[in-house]
Amino acid sequence: MPIKTEGSWRARLFPNNEWALVLVIAVECAIFGATGRNFLTAANGFEVARLGVELGLIAFALTPIIITGGIDLSVGSMMALAAVVLGGLWRDGHWPLPAAVLAALGVGLAGGGLNALLIARFRFPPLIVTLGTFSLFRGIAEGLTRGIENYSGFDPRFLFWGQGYVGGLIPTQLFVLVSVFLFYAHLVHRTAFGRSLRAIGFSAEGARYAGIRVARQLACLYVLSGFVSALAAIIYVAHLGQAKSDAGTGYELMAITSVVIGGTSIFGGHGTIWGTALGLFAIVILQNGLRLSGQPAELAGVLTGALLIATILIDRVVRRPKAPQVAQMNAEENTEVRNSQIAVLSIVILLAALIVAGSNWFLINSLRRELRSATGERATAGPAAHRTVIAMMPKAKGDPYFISCKQGADEAARELGVELLWDGPTELDPAKQNEVVEAWITRGVDAIAVSVENRVGISTVLRKARERGIKVLTWDADAERDARDFFVNQATPQGIGYTLTDEAARILGGRGEFAIITASLSAANQNEWIKYIKERLAQKYPDLKLVAIQPSEGDRDRAFAETQTVLKVYPNVRLIMAIAAPAVPGAAEAVKQAGRRDVKVIGLSLPSMCRTYIHEGIIESIVLWNTRDLGYLTVYAAQAAATGRLKRGDRQLEAGRLGRVEVADDEVRLGAPFIFNRENIDRFDF
Amino acid sequence: MKPLLQVRAIDKSYAGVQALRDAHLELFAGEVHALVGENGAGKSTLIKIITGAVEPDGGEIWLNGQRVAEISPRRAKELGIAAIYQQPALFPELSVAENIALGLESGGLLARVNWRARRQQAAALLARVGARILPDREAGALTMAEQQLVEIARAIGARSRILIMDEPTAALSEEETRHLFRVIGELRDAGVAVIYISHRLEELSAIADRVTVLRDGRTIGTYRMEELDRQQLIRLMVGRELSAVFPWRARKLGEPVLELCDFGSSTAGIENINLTVHAGEIVGLAGLVGAGRTELARAIFGLVPADRGELRLRGVPVRIGDPTQAIACGIAYLPEDRQRHGVIPEMAISANITLASLDALASPWGMDFRRERAIAAHYVQRLGIKTPSIYAPVQTLSGGNQQKVALGRWLATEPQVIILDEPTQGVDVGTKAEIHRLMIELAAQGAAILMISSEMPELLGMSDRIAVMREGTIVAQLAREEATQERVLALALGQ
Amino acid sequence: MKSVIWSRYKRELAAAVAYLALLVAVGAVAPSFYSAANLRDLLVNNAPVLIVATGMTMVIIVREIDISVGSQFAVCSVVAGLLAKAGAPIPLLIPALIAVGAAMGALNGWLIGRLRIPSIIATLAMYVAWRDALRWATQGAWVQGLPDDFQWFGLGQSRGQWLIVAAAIALLVFFAWALRNLRAGRALYAVGSQREAARLLGLNPSALVFGVFTLMGALVGLAALLNAVRFATVPSNAGTGLELKAIASVVVGGTAISGGRGTLIGTLIGTALLGTTGTALTFAGINPFWEKAMQGAIILVALISEVALGRLTHEPR
Ligand SMILES: Nc1ncnc2c1ncn2[C@@H]1O[C@H](COP(=O)(O)OP(=O)(O)OP(=O)(O)O)[C@@H](O)[C@H]1O
Ligand SMILES: [Mg+2]
Repeated sequence: MPIKTEGSWRARLFPNNEWALVLVIAVECAIFGATGRNFLTAANGFEVARLGVELGLIAFALTPIIITGGIDLSVGSMMALAAVVLGGLWRDGHWPLPAAVLAALGVGLAGGGLNALLIARFRFPPLIVTLGTFSLFRGIAEGLTRGIENYSGFDPRFLFWGQGYVGGLIPTQLFVLVSVFLFYAHLVHRTAFGRSLRAIGFSAEGARYAGIRVARQLACLYVLSGFVSALAAIIYVAHLGQAKSDAGTGYELMAITSVVIGGTSIFGGHGTIWGTALGLFAIVILQNGLRLSGQPAELAGVLTGALLIATILIDRVVRRPKAPQVAQMNAEENTEVRNSQIAVLSIVILLAALIVAGSNWFLINSLRRELRSATGERATAGPAAHRTVIAMMPKAKGDPYFISCKQGADEAARELGVELLWDGPTELDPAKQNEVVEAWITRGVDAIAVSVENRVGISTVLRKARERGIKVLTWDADAERDARDFFVNQATPQGIGYTLTDEAARILGGRGEFAIITASLSAANQNEWIKYIKERLAQKYPDLKLVAIQPSEGDRDRAFAETQTVLKVYPNVRLIMAIAAPAVPGAAEAVKQAGRRDVKVIGLSLPSMCRTYIHEGIIESIVLWNTRDLGYLTVYAAQAAATGRLKRGDRQLEAGRLGRVEVADDEVRLGAPFIFNRENIDRFDF
Repeated sequence: MKPLLQVRAIDKSYAGVQALRDAHLELFAGEVHALVGENGAGKSTLIKIITGAVEPDGGEIWLNGQRVAEISPRRAKELGIAAIYQQPALFPELSVAENIALGLESGGLLARVNWRARRQQAAALLARVGARILPDREAGALTMAEQQLVEIARAIGARSRILIMDEPTAALSEEETRHLFRVIGELRDAGVAVIYISHRLEELSAIADRVTVLRDGRTIGTYRMEELDRQQLIRLMVGRELSAVFPWRARKLGEPVLELCDFGSSTAGIENINLTVHAGEIVGLAGLVGAGRTELARAIFGLVPADRGELRLRGVPVRIGDPTQAIACGIAYLPEDRQRHGVIPEMAISANITLASLDALASPWGMDFRRERAIAAHYVQRLGIKTPSIYAPVQTLSGGNQQKVALGRWLATEPQVIILDEPTQGVDVGTKAEIHRLMIELAAQGAAILMISSEMPELLGMSDRIAVMREGTIVAQLAREEATQERVLALALGQ
Repeated sequence: MKSVIWSRYKRELAAAVAYLALLVAVGAVAPSFYSAANLRDLLVNNAPVLIVATGMTMVIIVREIDISVGSQFAVCSVVAGLLAKAGAPIPLLIPALIAVGAAMGALNGWLIGRLRIPSIIATLAMYVAWRDALRWATQGAWVQGLPDDFQWFGLGQSRGQWLIVAAAIALLVFFAWALRNLRAGRALYAVGSQREAARLLGLNPSALVFGVFTLMGALVGLAALLNAVRFATVPSNAGTGLELKAIASVVVGGTAISGGRGTLIGTLIGTALLGTTGTALTFAGINPFWEKAMQGAIILVALISEVALGRLTHEPR
């Protein structure tokens, strides 16, 4: 029998059956092409690619590391560190921007070098080392900026790298992504170095016996990964127009997801760079497509899960036992395949059925919508009886505060007969809001209303929306003034900060110690409020002492534990001020369990979460506005702006059950913050 | 007498390879039944089918006159079948005692573990096979021979009716092999049926009662051991004549290539090594397991730091810090642990062959894949590696063919100094002769060869000179003419 | 013999030494850290994490990983709240939650053990799927208005607290004992060390992997319940980041991610190390902005202490 010296092209190109992902992407495109508005356009294609750039860079850097059987969890944190070094040197150190960029890349090299030293030289397990540097790098970034510093106002020529278009169509950073992709593809697949990485991944000891310098190769990879993370940070800063210590939060997990979905094994050896790229785009396209189809973002999670499993199963079913890939074929695997084939098939059929049913449902829905608008057109006989689409974004979807806002928004949408898209980030990633707005621009909506998380970051994309003729409003928290048409203002940060401080002073009788439980140390809003709290203290209450600010990460249980600690470390604290909605009940429970009747809790939260504690007298009062009215008013204002009923300079706005609402220049005013306490709490049901 | 085990008409094919076709075997209680055949003949596959480790495509297994419908490793254990596989199946993270016990203990998963009993049992079994290994040691830290002995102890401890051994002696020295044979003899006398696979044909006449020959997955026949002489057996296996003599011929020796002066390594436990290997010379390294032969090789190759004495290559003192430098100096080392060090089982044959010479394939535009293909195809052909494709993962090859891949890797580096640690372990007679011819050829081209072997005939037959090691140092060097089996053994034992 | 113990527990010892050093340092700066109330609070707060880390240790020993525990934890918490609100008898919650958790774990086990989907992919999928499904179902709303005897199982605060701590410790001790002394425990090590070899010795790796994930789920269910009863309401986003916390505790405690090696003693030390540094740093008066950096540094120091403790023996790579 002649010996084959040519591998089949399939085995060579897709050694881990990455083609299953090509199929998945094709199916996604088909479905979203039918259901999503403007999904299948060149512009959207490039937009999708842009969304994947930072993540893609990191995923490419991670792929060879995972091929060697290692891991680097510190990539996202390295982005944060590089970003703040860049911003800090440029703004506070007055370095020229190119020098600051070089310094940031240098920091990436150094951080990667630390990982490399511990992993390659001292041979510590990569997981533990990078778990340590994962904390360390972000911790240093937070420490350097005290979580607050947000560097912005970069030179447009720099921002071009994250926001500009080459030839008016191709996003600039795509070139960076493609070059890094080509670099890694070459390195991993076409060089001796790449070959040796695989050997290390399968058996580091075996590789050493073959004369491969294991430590040196590994060191190279980790240093490179630090460098590429810093590069990703620079793109990220240029993309958002700001540098802050929360850059790249959670990117490590998303990048790892792309890598493993792309066929790389975490135990090392197997994997391709293009597999990673396909995995990345399978996820990004899914998210983008769902947005353009106006589907809730929660679906993305469920579908991503299904996608992960389906990809593997397609691979399993198609990979017949004959395929030369099946390496250790043993009886177990044989029977497994045989036994599970039925199960697998039924799952795939089920999934296919779901997809078909889902797309039918989409289709019918949109058909019905078309029909309805068509008939509506006839009924009103107006030429422009197109149904207004208002897109509204909270800071975080799961937050109870915003959920009660949504109830008001839904109510208004029903009254006005407009279509309301409600979408926003579900994770802590500050870049997510931009992605959602981008998708809305592509989809084409009439008005966008955003509760802004990152003032500078989002303004760039909001300006773009305005250029495309979309009415832009902000609500709850404002963007830069020129980036929006109107701001639905419920309370200024100053108003909130001052009210909270006055309330604290009232309870403590003007003197004593108190502590703040905030959301995360880098949360923009909370930091703004804290600024005004401190300002008020300095102005009016010299005897009131703020002794500690502890983060709760928006988690009730964490707020609980932090409050417990504060109460013990600062026994003289008589008041806890919790300024995130879930933190207030957490702090109250801690005070209650500690039996400290002498300590009061105040803060910013929803009445429904705090009602029992207010009745028990643990929470003295909470400061808030009527959140339902806020959502209601926002939709009314957006609709009015979109239809031209609300223009700059108007003095008032007719807003349904709220009656006439004051408009001052470009602000729609809801009214002053409200103090809920034992007397009035039962009158509110949100 | 009725056969204890009957294997009938077994078929098994892997991706593109028909490993077994219509193979059969009959085994009686109280016999040692040898199973022989070339590399890739299907021996290991056949026994894996008997133990249920691999599912056959067709065929039947009868035990005690009853058909066994579905067999799995667990079922085989219940039926009283124990096996030592060719690839070590130990748990590197666990202790020796536990490795032994996990194979023996029965009872539900909720049964309690008796650590004291485990340790005692392990100590007793290890003593029975003549191994001096502490039961508390971690299995991953054992040498090849020690691992093999642990597996033997585990298999013997199973008190099974059928004991299957796939090349148990591949890594063992004479001394340990003799001990093993004594144990096997005892078991046979106690009525156990033993299936014994080996490429060391001399062993078979010492131990086997009958022999079944496999060729290309087919059973050629079963014979009484006395019926056959060595030549006939080889003809049955290979299907042609093979000369039984070693291809050694006198060669002209060149300059000293490798010189060790008071060489030693404290971490490896060797010292005061004085040895010279000339161009064109084959020096055999004899000694018992644990005498420091492999350690010496590892120290020369830079795998453990050599901190004493001097190493000279062609008269120039060199310091070798790691294997990369060693390779750059023209040294090659074929390690004894094929699975862990010799090859990377998951990788393709081609990648394995070029792994030590990747630098030679590097070009500014990346790797020269065309040359890689050419090199791989060349060595596959030259060494007669039995495979459908150079891209097949090495783990799909039979044990002997894996060994050839490991050897091919070092030939591809075109070395001047070649250290071979058990080069013919698990290799069939035909291939063994080929490897021996290859060694002579390389030596004739001027390579200096240092060969470690536990197979005395090979050592005596191939070496120009034999250095005997004991307790970490070289105790004597014998010229080819003065070396006899008895003398070498006496020196190795220190008598 | 001494050296055997030393080599068996050297990873754990390294973490322990680093931890002790930290404790001594904090004790010198802020002795009030050792007040009974603080120690009790630390125990109670970390008990649920410890239970999850116990299960995670076993998962990692069999050379698998479970990313989905945080999301399962959230689902179980909400289920506990809803059941209690629907009027289920409070003691019945314990078996109910164990069953719910075990069911979710069994789904993981089926995908991984039977269908042989790599555990990182299967549990990553479940991680996003459960979390987002829950978000969809609850729309972020908390479960409120629970019956009075939900909090602390109606046992009152101090008895409830001790119950939680006792449950966590009892589970840890039991599983530590079982891992060392039951055949099932040793079988986990064997499967994690060499799956194929374990199969050849007659063990059933698929079934064991299935069992471990089911057990992991059951422990998550129990941990979620024990965590939920510390409060009078149930948030819908419980357990965010729990997976990372649990995995970190396990690997810092010396369990090898490559399987077959690790102990629950180590996990206990790891959980203690990671679960108390934050508080200890606050006691020591470290600015919270630097807390994260300090925590990272402590993990690295724990590692480096391994070298200081004489790890520089040759362990070829
Ligand atoms: N897992 C596998 N996948 C594909 N092919 C295999 C696999 N295992 C064995 N083979 C093929 O089956 C044939 C028989 O292999 P087997 O291991 O039984 O040979 P053997 O007689 O034991 O040889 P040796 O003496 O070298 O050990 C070989 O050609 C081998 O390449
Ligand atoms: Mg074999």
